[in-house]
Amino acid sequence: MTIRRVLIFAPILLIVVLLQSYFWVPTYEQQTRGNPARLAEYIAGSIGDASLLNPILTADSASSNIQDFVFEGLIDRDEQLRFRGRLAKSWEVFEEAFFYVNPSASIPGLGKADPQTLAAFVKDAQKKNHATDPGLKNSLKRITEISVLPPSTFSVTRPFKDPNTDTQETIEIRVAAPARIKLVLNGVDPDLFQNLSHLLGKNYFESFHGKDYLSSPSQHGKEKLPAYAEELLPATEHNPILLFHLRPGVRFHDGHTVEADDVKFTYEAIMNPKNLSPRISDYEPVKTVQVVDPLTVKIVYKRLYSPAIGTWGMGILPQHLLNSKALEKEALGLGKDLKTFSMRQSTFNRRPIGSGPFKFREWKSDQYITLDRFDDYWEGPPNYQRYVFRIIPDLLTQEMEFYAGTIDSYGVQPHQVKRLEKDPKFQSFAGTAFGYTYIGYNMRRKPFDDPRVRRALGMAIDVDKIIQYVLYGQGEQITGPFVKQTDYYNHHIQPLPYDPKGALKLLAAAGWQRNKDGWLEKNGRRFKFTLITNSGNDLRKAILAIAQNAWKQIGIDVRTDLLEWSVFIQERVNKADFDALILGWQMGIEPDLYQIWHSSQTHPYQLNFVNFKNQEADDLIIKIRQEYTHDRQVEYSHRLHEIIAKEQPYTFLYVGKWTAVLDKRIVIKDVDDAGNIRYEKIKPTQTGNYAFYFNKWIKLPKAPNFMDEG
Amino acid sequence: MVSFIGRSFVQKIITLFFVSIVSFLIIHLAPGKPSQVDPMNPKFTPEMVERFSKEFHLDKPLYVQYVYFYQDLFTGKTASWKDNQSVLKKIWERFLNSLPLFIVGTLITWTLSFPVGIRSAIFREGVYDRTATFLSYLLISIPGFFFAYVLIIFVVTRFHVPVIGMETFGIGDASLPYILMDRIWHMLLPSVLGATGGIAVLSRYVRSQMLEVEGQDYIRTARAKGLPPEQVHYKHALRNALLPFVTMFGLILPGLIGGSVIIESIFSWPGMGRMAYEAILARDYPVILTVNFVSAVLVLAGTFISDLLYLIVDPRIRL
Repeated sequence: MTIRRVLIFAPILLIVVLLQSYFWVPTYEQQTRGNPARLAEYIAGSIGDASLLNPILTADSASSNIQDFVFEGLIDRDEQLRFRGRLAKSWEVFEEAFFYVNPSASIPGLGKADPQTLAAFVKDAQKKNHATDPGLKNSLKRITEISVLPPSTFSVTRPFKDPNTDTQETIEIRVAAPARIKLVLNGVDPDLFQNLSHLLGKNYFESFHGKDYLSSPSQHGKEKLPAYAEELLPATEHNPILLFHLRPGVRFHDGHTVEADDVKFTYEAIMNPKNLSPRISDYEPVKTVQVVDPLTVKIVYKRLYSPAIGTWGMGILPQHLLNSKALEKEALGLGKDLKTFSMRQSTFNRRPIGSGPFKFREWKSDQYITLDRFDDYWEGPPNYQRYVFRIIPDLLTQEMEFYAGTIDSYGVQPHQVKRLEKDPKFQSFAGTAFGYTYIGYNMRRKPFDDPRVRRALGMAIDVDKIIQYVLYGQGEQITGPFVKQTDYYNHHIQPLPYDPKGALKLLAAAGWQRNKDGWLEKNGRRFKFTLITNSGNDLRKAILAIAQNAWKQIGIDVRTDLLEWSVFIQERVNKADFDALILGWQMGIEPDLYQIWHSSQTHPYQLNFVNFKNQEADDLIIKIRQEYTHDRQVEYSHRLHEIIAKEQPYTFLYVGKWTAVLDKRIVIKDVDDAGNIRYEKIKPTQTGNYAFYFNKWIKLPKAPNFMDEG
Repeated sequence: MVSFIGRSFVQKIITLFFVSIVSFLIIHLAPGKPSQVDPMNPKFTPEMVERFSKEFHLDKPLYVQYVYFYQDLFTGKTASWKDNQSVLKKIWERFLNSLPLFIVGTLITWTLSFPVGIRSAIFREGVYDRTATFLSYLLISIPGFFFAYVLIIFVVTRFHVPVIGMETFGIGDASLPYILMDRIWHMLLPSVLGATGGIAVLSRYVRSQMLEVEGQDYIRTARAKGLPPEQVHYKHALRNALLPFVTMFGLILPGLIGGSVIIESIFSWPGMGRMAYEAILARDYPVILTVNFVSAVLVLAGTFISDLLYLIVDPRIRL
């Protein structure tokens, strides 16, 4: 019967066809044995695909990963996290400072002076060098140039929204600026004007009122003058300057040389509102970027802001491929609307050209991105011939592929490292990560406004146990908000001890007594609050239960709640509607804590949602931002760390560890000037970056034996 | 006939319109923001969030956004927020990747279920039937992702061959038959996994349909007049038992999109389901909504096709 036969043979045929394909597929051994090129290839596994390969348009980790290979910035950080020149050979940091001549102020020993006399007076003081105040002496010594800018008049327009009629209009403001003194310094001196006031009189700068020199023809404008005075005529102004000297002869992958114009173009592309760059806020403090000559670029800042230096690690774009002319041509070629066509739409983002150690080769969405080494790389080409970024969205699959040798690295989890630790085929690395987890208290609410209570809550939790049982030992206790492996972190501060009895004592001092049921009470009210965190994070969920239990032990009635991430952030965190929460921060290397800890950032939707307010801390945060000298920054950070540790706005829990696993056959290959090849074992740097020397890595056919391995 | 087609066409358009409204509302009212305007990213200043919102029309009232979106969709201008690629182009590329997986999976399901189900029905309550029943329920109850992991680990550790992706990574310049066979091999595991649930369910259906038909009077008549049992089973019974499956055939169309999210993610297969899943995670509204719309169209087209098929196959039905 044919029907029966068809019904039986069709599936058998199908299965046979499918199964026989097995015999055509190369096994892993065949792949590497017959393919020596595989050794010169580095394949990295990643969960997610990149979005756009243009460093100014995206900030997600997958894209940045590729961008770091394809593009190069002016500077980056070395093993000790200090800045090191890349496209920039060297750089200078100095400043130009300005102040308006204040005709009403009387200068000690000079009286009221005109601008020329004033400048001569300062010059004179510098020459005689008889200032008694050491700070002033220091500041005067730094001045290399004093000049007078003549008075000027100009007018500006500002948008204005009429609150009565709700209409948008512009107001004109006329400025009759008085003469101004310009000082050029050989460094950056945040205390310059404070010190100069010892020379020019205590109130010389304070008594200058910018609004006296402003006028406006319209009524609304007149009312608004005081508001604009600070912006248009600030009594004093610091303009820090970064002068980068570019490395000569560095080329983009298409052979074009990298010049100062490219740096300026990159900056302008970021600031161009059409490009919607997520990095625009980093560059807001920049006043101008000037091309001095093809290899020198001068960046002038509006104000003292030291974290700005780090932003020049940003990859530099090739101007000749992305300027308005090039984009116009591309838009015409693609038949797109010129008006709406921006860098975002350019095909450059899917086949980028930079000046980094690897050049772009191919991108298959959600499959892989391949890069080839750039043989003309200024520091010498990398050892690997090719870098492949494979997208494998599943962790277990990644592990299987790693075992089989079709990927060389992947985002390995602590428990997976445990499995591989003893395997002689692999080498594993671990180090302190850049983020920490904490319990934050809403200090707007009682009883969290009392530092004793916050300290007691922290003392009731055994952080060591959390690290041991929740993180399997893959974490370290921390005491404050700085990155633990940087100098800014103050290692003298002891973590809170685990001491429930001490906690009860502190709570008793704050007026909380245990009632007959064992609950803590104050004025007849039970100590009761809700601890929340986001769902979907198992670590935080475990900490939630541990904290709840620890606090119950000392008589606090704690409720817990898990909320979906967006609800958690939008409804609770942003609106500061919580008692206590568990959350984590990812930190940058810069010690800038303004957004998270400054008292001006406590409004809804800002990041200081625990409402931490401390005058000294505020001052230190601002000082750290304005200081360009590393040692002073460290000094301020240590003090700030101390204050925060004393106040305990958060119970700082732990900083996690990163882990990595590599085939043992991957080593560092170094060739010295005489041409001798030397192999070295891969070691993480002091700050925990194991891939710092990636360009020197290579895979050998057999794992070498190193002498120093004991 | 023509009036039926016309009527059902109008009905489907109306349904589609409501689907478009409801899906649009659900996605926009669901908590969470597109990653470009994520309020928790400290790098994003309020001005930037505002500019992105403006660029994406997120600052407009919902009905205006609705009009903008569908206007773009029908003029083919919709672009993903993530990478500014045209959504329709993206979907088409991914569709071509998903299609072979879908075809092979469907072939396995449909060719395997029938012999298994029919045999179960003929030898009902026997050892074979009981084993098949047990296996079916086992396959239905094992979660697909778990089964996938077990299979991957088994194949990789035992046979030492790659199974992830659409082809062996870095196979490069092998000759054509090798590349072809390599592709088929990579299709084997995901399509088998995709088919397991289908085989289990469908073979149960086939069994019960067959049993129902086998109890009918005309089957007894056929037997009574002395026809060989084979002819009774495969000609008289099977043909009549097939009728309900004709309708099911139309309904597998939407499986093109939804059925493969997990399998595609585990096998890093760059298909449609995975694209939709990743778009949802990033709240990439244009991609989510377009995929949603396309799948709605597929569902409606599927029902329409099965209506038509039924009409052709079953002479009792007149419209």
